[in-house]
Amino acid sequence: MKDLKILFVDDDPVTRKLMEKKLQIEEYETTIAVNGVEAVDFISKYRFDVVLTDLMMPGGVDGIGVLQATKEKSPQTDVVLITAYASIDNAVTAMRQGAFDYLQKPINFDELFLLLDKISNLKKLGKAAGDLREAMDVTECNAAQTIQDLEMSVSELNGKISEISHILSKKNVDAAKRVSIALDIISAT
Amino acid sequence: MTKITPNEIKIISKYIYDISGIYLDQTKIYLFETRLGPLLEKEGFSSYSELYQKARADPGKKLEIKIIDAISTNETLFFRDTGPFEVLRHKVVPDIIDARSAKFSGLLPTSIRIWSAACSTGQEIYSIAIVLKELLPDMKKYNIKLLGTDISDAAVAQASYGKYNKFEIERGLAKDKLQKYFSLSGNTWKIKDEIRAMASFRKLNLMLPFAALGKFDIVFCRNVAIYFNMEDRKKLFNKIADLLAPDGCLIVGSTETLSGICPRFEPKRHMRSIFYQLKK
Repeated sequence: MKDLKILFVDDDPVTRKLMEKKLQIEEYETTIAVNGVEAVDFISKYRFDVVLTDLMMPGGVDGIGVLQATKEKSPQTDVVLITAYASIDNAVTAMRQGAFDYLQKPINFDELFLLLDKISNLKKLGKAAGDLREAMDVTECNAAQTIQDLEMSVSELNGKISEISHILSKKNVDAAKRVSIALDIISAT
Repeated sequence: MTKITPNEIKIISKYIYDISGIYLDQTKIYLFETRLGPLLEKEGFSSYSELYQKARADPGKKLEIKIIDAISTNETLFFRDTGPFEVLRHKVVPDIIDARSAKFSGLLPTSIRIWSAACSTGQEIYSIAIVLKELLPDMKKYNIKLLGTDISDAAVAQASYGKYNKFEIERGLAKDKLQKYFSLSGNTWKIKDEIRAMASFRKLNLMLPFAALGKFDIVFCRNVAIYFNMEDRKKLFNKIADLLAPDGCLIVGSTETLSGICPRFEPKRHMRSIFYQLKK
């Protein structure tokens, strides 16, 4: 099994059948929705890595609607729109609204699988960066505590040193008395 | 990718130090190549020596600006380390307001000036602004001025626009704050005007004199001095001490200290964080 969970949305039964088969051969875990309304229902219930949707669909929810529902529920999910040549302008608008990319009909499956590989690689990179950041945060947090504890100790010791030097420099006080006070300061914790 | 020679590393690191104060470890060859390599390609130079010579000869300093943008580290995020913002919310700002309101017995709006000395792309200053907005519901009673400065023109420009992509915005910012203080336009999140209006930004090289900025009550100078050598760190924190109000406070990065760097400051602990005040 590949590591991307895909939702495919199209109102055309022939396209659905073909895509389902192709994605299965490539071993993607695939869910199929017959229109935008069903897609929005699936998106509200399950988490997908990629939503692959037709742009023009009847029934109230089109590809843009699917895109908006996806981004609202799970901004991490990437949406790829499938569009006919005539509606490329709409696809560009969709890109501005947060779609990852768009593919033109008829679908070139080599192109689709390259795109899915790219998404998969980007997600892995994102996760690696997140892991690194987490490791860095933990290290930094530990280092910060140690450094800050040391900083407070240094500051306290500096205070004692200046107090001691002040005492020791008091010429009008008996030398033995000065040493005794200085020793008291040193032993006080 | 064009390789950098040991001699070029010497020349370029000296040049970068002179224009920015950033002290680059000469053994980190990859740092020079990954950060300056793309600039070399874009400008069509065949070697790092050529980049250096062209930058030196450019009276408009356009290339110098590009080199600083490329070499400076803009690692930042909203509410980076929660500690300093807790200190700000629960200790520093309330203390300053108490002291000032008593002094002026509420006749004048209490004035607070805050400086983010290396603001990068603005996340720190907007995090500060959000804390203040939440802490002080009646903002009219206060005269709050936030200043963000950075050596990188590109960083200052982005900070000023207050626009962030999804990767930048997701780091450190809770969802409720995101919805409340930012608006989404396409793929970009933009800081809302009420927060943006609290801050101003300008380019500043911390190596140069900056007394003209005036006095500040709170200074954030986090994770920038780590790129300077010891002498320059001492000079920097001394200059900051000069412009800090007597009851003001300085916040440095969570792994930085001022021991042996600036004896004019003393550390104070609040909860799990440290802030610095001038010794009385």
